Amino acid sequence: MKEKFKIALAQMSSERENKKENIRKMEKIVAKAKKQGADLAVFPELALTGYVIRDQIYDLAETIPGPSTKTIEGIARKNNMHIVFGMPELSEKAEATVYDTAVLVSPEGVVGKYRKLHLPTHSVFEEKRYFRPGYEAVALDTELGKIGLIICYDIFFPEISRLTRLEGAKLIVCISASPSVRRGFFEVLTVARAMENTVFLAYVNLVGVEDGLQFWGGSRLVGPQGKVLAQAKYDKEDIVICEVNYSDMRSVEPFVPTLKDLRPELFDELKKYARDF
Amino acid sequence: MELTASVLDLEWSEIKDKVTRFIRDYVEKSGVEGAVVALSGGVDSCTVAALSALALDGKKVYGLMLPEKETLNHRDIEHARLVAKKFKIKTQLCDITPALEALYKSIPIFDHSEKVCKGNIKARTRMIYVYYYANNLNLIVCGSSDKSETMMGYFTKWGDIAADISPIMDLYKTQVRGLAQHLGIPREIVTKPSSPALWRDQTAENELGVKYELLDLILYGLEHFVNSKEIANQLNVNPELVEKIRSRWLFMEHKRRPLLTSKLQYRTIGWDFRLPRSSY
Repeated sequence: MKEKFKIALAQMSSERENKKENIRKMEKIVAKAKKQGADLAVFPELALTGYVIRDQIYDLAETIPGPSTKTIEGIARKNNMHIVFGMPELSEKAEATVYDTAVLVSPEGVVGKYRKLHLPTHSVFEEKRYFRPGYEAVALDTELGKIGLIICYDIFFPEISRLTRLEGAKLIVCISASPSVRRGFFEVLTVARAMENTVFLAYVNLVGVEDGLQFWGGSRLVGPQGKVLAQAKYDKEDIVICEVNYSDMRSVEPFVPTLKDLRPELFDELKKYARDF
Repeated sequence: MELTASVLDLEWSEIKDKVTRFIRDYVEKSGVEGAVVALSGGVDSCTVAALSALALDGKKVYGLMLPEKETLNHRDIEHARLVAKKFKIKTQLCDITPALEALYKSIPIFDHSEKVCKGNIKARTRMIYVYYYANNLNLIVCGSSDKSETMMGYFTKWGDIAADISPIMDLYKTQVRGLAQHLGIPREIVTKPSSPALWRDQTAENELGVKYELLDLILYGLEHFVNSKEIANQLNVNPELVEKIRSRWLFMEHKRRPLLTSKLQYRTIGWDFRLPRSSY
């Protein structure tokens, strides 16, 4: 396992409903990131199709494995790169049941996927209308260490980041499609999730305008002590190459020993009260 | 939530960036040459014209002045020209009086004393001119409706509200004034009473029966789910006034969401036919 490696925060805008063009763009970014020494490229939530695709989702969703993941596997292999990206995933067992999914691909192929657990359906969001929620947190073994995957609104729920950490994740990757009025929340929550779990957190947000909805970018890598180690531009496409060094975690854990001090008995209480709420 | 004037304060330079990005993105994706704005000389249209010029370059923006003899106000035309000059916007003046008179004459039941019906013809005639320029010169129509007027239904259906995009429709009137000031729109334009110019001496505040400074705080409260009683209490105003505004705010949804049909089939326009706006 690599103790130290570089991540490319690939803050791109997607051309809606144009998977071919978006994959072409991703391929270019991956090649560029590789040249700059990156081992992992992270793309935003639903980067494959764009976010505001409404009823077109049924035409665009694909199974995993499927044609798009196959192409991305080829890109990962060719560039010897790990890639995380978001796509609408069509269930293999139904005709029009779709998940909002993050896929992790290594040079050897698809490592695994995470289906978004918390689907916002308020304000401008209508995710429950289109997506079925996932049912489990995911932390995947890679040669870059164990990587936890979460998607956008999941970051408001500390339990899921904590779960991936307790499963052994050293890096949490949060892919996102957050509109600009929500920036304040994410800038605080990305720091909080990293700090309370003493873990690296890479947040990659969509950018651009879709149906009048503006996505603010501002992708970032946060260190286990809560420090923002790298930050992409606001409101513009950007690729930021930054370094994860797991050896930094060792000195943070004794100083902020949240994992050591966990009180599992509270989780039962939490469960009880959350159900009755 | 405390309803004081400060809740309406926004970071104007950030708002300017967001709105100009929105206009630029729409124009680029549409593949058109620029935008046309019905430039009355009021604060809303002057602000939209300025924002369009900042987004696209003044050369790509058409300010269309559309006066007619009953409401002709030379000061408004002067103001429109002032802003056009400052932001290097192309302008054209079309007197719509002959078109209006022809319309009045051709409607068998036309009644001059029905000033609202007649006023709406003016607003819809202006729309026809603006869309003619848009079609002929390959432009989009950039609308100037603000959030106060839109929420109060203070506009003409298919008239002044008609546009391809409405860049300031999420800003209340007092916020538009704040943004206008930030953009350097002359003070006399920012502070003058708003009017849709449908008849002589018409002002928006007289018709709405409340000053925008108060109206906007009431609307802001309603937007944020504050109940009428609490709004009246906080603003120290008659609860009946707040209730009257709330009723109108609710009732006017029919003007804001005009495409309505009965559900008869699988996917229905306005209900569950939900397509992305992928071509512009």
